[in-house]
Amino acid sequence: MRPENLSDMQMDAMRELGSVGAAHAATALSQLLGRAIEIEVPEISLLRVTEVPGILGGPEQVVAAAYSRFLGDIGGSILFVVPEQAALALVDHLHGRSPGMTECFGPETQALFVHVAFVQASAYLAAIARMTDINVLPSPPQFAHDMAGAILQVGVARLGMRADSALLVRTAFIGDGFTLDATLLFLPDPEGLDIVLNRLGLA
Amino acid sequence: MAERPTRSTGTDCAGESRIVDVGVGQIAVAEAPDRLVASALGSCVGVAVYDPIGRRGGMAHVMLPRASDTALDGDPSRFADCGVPRLVEEIQQLGSLRSRLVAKIAGGAAMFRADSVVAGIGERNAAEVRRQLRLLRIPVLAEDTGGSHARTVTLDLRDGTVSVRSIAHGTREL
Repeated sequence: MRPENLSDMQMDAMRELGSVGAAHAATALSQLLGRAIEIEVPEISLLRVTEVPGILGGPEQVVAAAYSRFLGDIGGSILFVVPEQAALALVDHLHGRSPGMTECFGPETQALFVHVAFVQASAYLAAIARMTDINVLPSPPQFAHDMAGAILQVGVARLGMRADSALLVRTAFIGDGFTLDATLLFLPDPEGLDIVLNRLGLA
Repeated sequence: MAERPTRSTGTDCAGESRIVDVGVGQIAVAEAPDRLVASALGSCVGVAVYDPIGRRGGMAHVMLPRASDTALDGDPSRFADCGVPRLVEEIQQLGSLRSRLVAKIAGGAAMFRADSVVAGIGERNAAEVRRQLRLLRIPVLAEDTGGSHARTVTLDLRDGTVSVRSIAHGTREL
């Protein structure tokens, strides 16, 4: 299935899948933080692979990110991206201290950030796996602190080899009473779309 | 030939330097005193080709090494084996001799190492760019490739200087 051939109904189904995944990820995050986390209605977009690097506040926006491949019946990538300052604040919240204490991305900070991303990716994928009755496992995420454009390139480089467009399910997380400007991007490989839609009876 | 959707900012007044943003997978050509910028190169490679006598040149923002033989759509300029020759052809069309052209390249990093396919793309991009330039007999005067950090590359067409900016290493000139 080429992503650009998806019908409206199939796009809706993918958005719904994204909603369920994101809701589980938000629950996991709020349990980790001991605070309420809200999610926005996931945005599903079909973009040219060359457009993707600009979607998060411009290519040069500095962010912390964790990238995870997922494997099993379907393959794809999950990216958890947080602007630099919000990422440092997130780590402070995990330590139970006030934001501003963590000032750089040392090994411990990176490990905590990756831990959060892994929990999120696992929760997201578990929900999708349950809905569609497939096996899917996240691989341990990799950390990067750099320009958003360069990080987003990684997610679409694989897709760009075979196709011109990428299906992207994007969820924004908002902290209740604190800044958490996090985005979770779900980028399934095109082959996986057929499998998922088939399981949902929409192939 | 496919359209070349370059976005230009700044003014067009004579003597004023425009900054031309070269997006992912695009190519752009311009003349002095303009500057060409490819932002946030990760595994992508910025290929700056310059004619020091004509004081004009171009930039390719290469995303992937080679157009595979599977079905393709969109602008193939995102592949090194198509984008680099096309860039050189466009500079020649502006009146430059190929024998005068020189190149500088930057980018080709591995942002994340765990995924073997993705981790190798930067290196393969840089290798394919070098190969294409060799086939075109355009010397590579300087390069800043590899590593695991993002780079923003600017080609100043007034003198052919290429500056590479990164968060980890600041700005350096090639």
